[in-house]
Amino acid sequence: MFLRLVADSFSRRVSRKLLTAGALALGMAVATAALSVSLDVGDRLAFEFRSLGANLFVTPHADSLPLEIGGVDYRPANAGADLPEASLPKLKTIFWHNNIVGFAPLLDLPVEAWSAALKTPPPTGGAPRATLIGTWSRHPLAIPDGGTFVTGVEKTNPWWNVEGHWFAEDMHECVVGVAFARRAALRIGDTVVLRADGQTISLTVSGLLTTGGPEDEAIVAPLSYAQQLAGRPGTFRRLYISAITKPEDAFGRRDPSGMTPAEFDRWFCTPYISSIALQIEQALPGTDARVIRRVAEGEGRILTRVRVLLWLVAAAALLAASLAVGATSAATIIERRTEIALMKALGAGSPMVKSLFAAEQILLAAVGGGAGYAIGILLARFLGQIVFGASPAPSLLVLAVVLALAIFVTLAGSFFSMRRAARYEPAPILRGE
Amino acid sequence: MFWRLIHRLLQANRGRLVTVLLALGAGAAITAALLNLRVDADARLTREFRSFGANVVIAPPPAGLGSAQSPQTATLDESVLQRVPAQFAGAPVAAVPFLYLVAEVSNPAAALHTVVPAVVAGTHLPGLAQVGPGWRFDPPSSSSSQSVRCLVGARVASQFAVRPGATLLLQFAGREERCVMDGILSAGGAEDNQIFVDLAAAQRLAAQPGRVSLVQLSVTGNPRAIESFLAALSVALPQAAVRGVRQFSDAEARLYERIRGLLSATVAIILVLTALCVMAAMTNAAMERQHDVGLMKALGGPLSRILHLFLAEAALLGLAGGILGAAVGMLLSIGLGSAVFGVAAQPRWIVYPVTVFLTVAVAVAGAFPLRRLASVRPAVIFRGEA
Repeated sequence: MFLRLVADSFSRRVSRKLLTAGALALGMAVATAALSVSLDVGDRLAFEFRSLGANLFVTPHADSLPLEIGGVDYRPANAGADLPEASLPKLKTIFWHNNIVGFAPLLDLPVEAWSAALKTPPPTGGAPRATLIGTWSRHPLAIPDGGTFVTGVEKTNPWWNVEGHWFAEDMHECVVGVAFARRAALRIGDTVVLRADGQTISLTVSGLLTTGGPEDEAIVAPLSYAQQLAGRPGTFRRLYISAITKPEDAFGRRDPSGMTPAEFDRWFCTPYISSIALQIEQALPGTDARVIRRVAEGEGRILTRVRVLLWLVAAAALLAASLAVGATSAATIIERRTEIALMKALGAGSPMVKSLFAAEQILLAAVGGGAGYAIGILLARFLGQIVFGASPAPSLLVLAVVLALAIFVTLAGSFFSMRRAARYEPAPILRGE
Repeated sequence: MFWRLIHRLLQANRGRLVTVLLALGAGAAITAALLNLRVDADARLTREFRSFGANVVIAPPPAGLGSAQSPQTATLDESVLQRVPAQFAGAPVAAVPFLYLVAEVSNPAAALHTVVPAVVAGTHLPGLAQVGPGWRFDPPSSSSSQSVRCLVGARVASQFAVRPGATLLLQFAGREERCVMDGILSAGGAEDNQIFVDLAAAQRLAAQPGRVSLVQLSVTGNPRAIESFLAALSVALPQAAVRGVRQFSDAEARLYERIRGLLSATVAIILVLTALCVMAAMTNAAMERQHDVGLMKALGGPLSRILHLFLAEAALLGLAGGILGAAVGMLLSIGLGSAVFGVAAQPRWIVYPVTVFLTVAVAVAGAFPLRRLASVRPAVIFRGEA
């Protein structure tokens, strides 16, 4: 009888029920979208922050002091220690290897450079001097687990802007800083001759580099050519790493040497920038991995704040959705006063009326919440596309939260009206008063 | 008569009045809080971005053809510092000068008197934290000694195995300076390989009085404002090259857009939801009003007048809910601001009238379901068939 009453109520008032379910679905859709975006936004933003470039910097442990001013190392080319290029794939074997977005080894040396269009090569010391930076632009690297990882300065220094295109490796190409190109009268497509220690090499200029930094005065070429000119095959001097990290909290800032083993495990298994730096030093023995504080601290600070802000906004969205849904379900009860009065007149008790309505509301909430989830996922996709250019993955957790919320909110929303409905005196209502 | 009717309408059902006022007030509160946060977030974000440190650099003009690549050549006159505005768009501009030279550094207290070339940077020591807020100073710089003080980069410190309080000897072209080590600087960049001393000491050492190699500025503002700052400063300093630090300015512009877009989208959605909420409350009201309308119609009231009556009621409710709710919302956003950014959000007074207006608009739009009353037929109502 109970089920028949509920079924009857749905089949007789299809349009009304559709309207209520529609309002419910709309509210829950917004809740779903807000929740999905907030769940996803932390990772998405952490990834966006990688447009700041590398946050870790690796140098040989036994190195002499670099004499670096404004990004140019004034040490002679043969001074200082270097690192083996062959050990780089090991970076993708550390515990947090998936968090390493990119890395680029650098080897720089002072060179003389001139345009090949000059009739006679200038005498030693007579040509414009520049720094040659040997690195990877988009280098496919075979990693131990069998895959290929494509990395280079395009990942670690995304603000380096190349007019033309980046050099292709093994094609005798290079990119030239805009300021140096102006100085040496070089244009895209020209050939530039580089000389260091009596050795020369000719490269085609494939692009002009603008960085707003000292690289504007430099020449950037594939790592292998720099190694060849410097006479140091298979080595590099500096390594930039861009890693997705968890902002450092009080625990992350503690000195790992003073931790208990359990604490150390927790610290090691959290992607704090300091624990990633330690893992890198372990993977590449004989190195110092240092945190580029300016990038890392600023990133951590802003990321924490924005995350809290977005959670608050999501909470506000949930509150607004709950209010909307609650008000709608309150309205449906009041609409049906006559029906309630009739039921009571026919002998239904208040608990019976209440449970009947509760069952209806739960059914409505399940239907409306489910539909709302589907719409909300689409909405979240749309929002994600607009804001981040990528859509969040649908999450079952959100579905559970949304359904529970829908049921709770409809019941809470109709609670007061139901209490009032239970108190109705049948006679005046049926008389139409 | 019109107002008396409205008065009676409002008093007729206290419960319903409270429900609608609550819905409108809550909507207005959420709207005001979010709008305020959204307006305030712009200013907050640009301030937060300053934790990346310097974003503008004043350097000597690009070297001409064939200039020797020695670090000491290109310098600027110190007077450029005076030409930098102290304030930009209400926020202070931090400007810190640097003079670089490569000096022979040794530790006079060490048994083995090794001399190592290292980069010495003359600067304004207390200002360092402003251009590199993420840098760690160990211990935090605080010293009142009369001698020349210096902050030593982490790698230099480990190279000489010196601790704060030690004295370092800096030599350059026959001149020398002694400095007392004040602390260790850990930045994770080239700064770790440098020794920071007072600008005057570095100028004496390099025999370049009144000269600086570059000036780093930390300017607060959104990407467009920074662009205009750069343009204005370039005009004011024709003898120098003024450029933005693209690593940070590019990323800042990008992040700024993303976060702003996200906030705007969420705020818009919540506004729509609030409107829905009010609409539901109003539908509720329309249902209860069938009898009133039936009676008015039976007594010969013109339909337009009846509708005006209900719209005026809705507008009044919107006004009351808006005024109360927006005030609550402003208070709420101050609390939210301090929860998120550590500093209470500044109330933006423009938000208040905007919210009240929006609430009235939503209430009137929410009264749309009342149009259904137009089709009420008195006879049917009074027979109790609806």
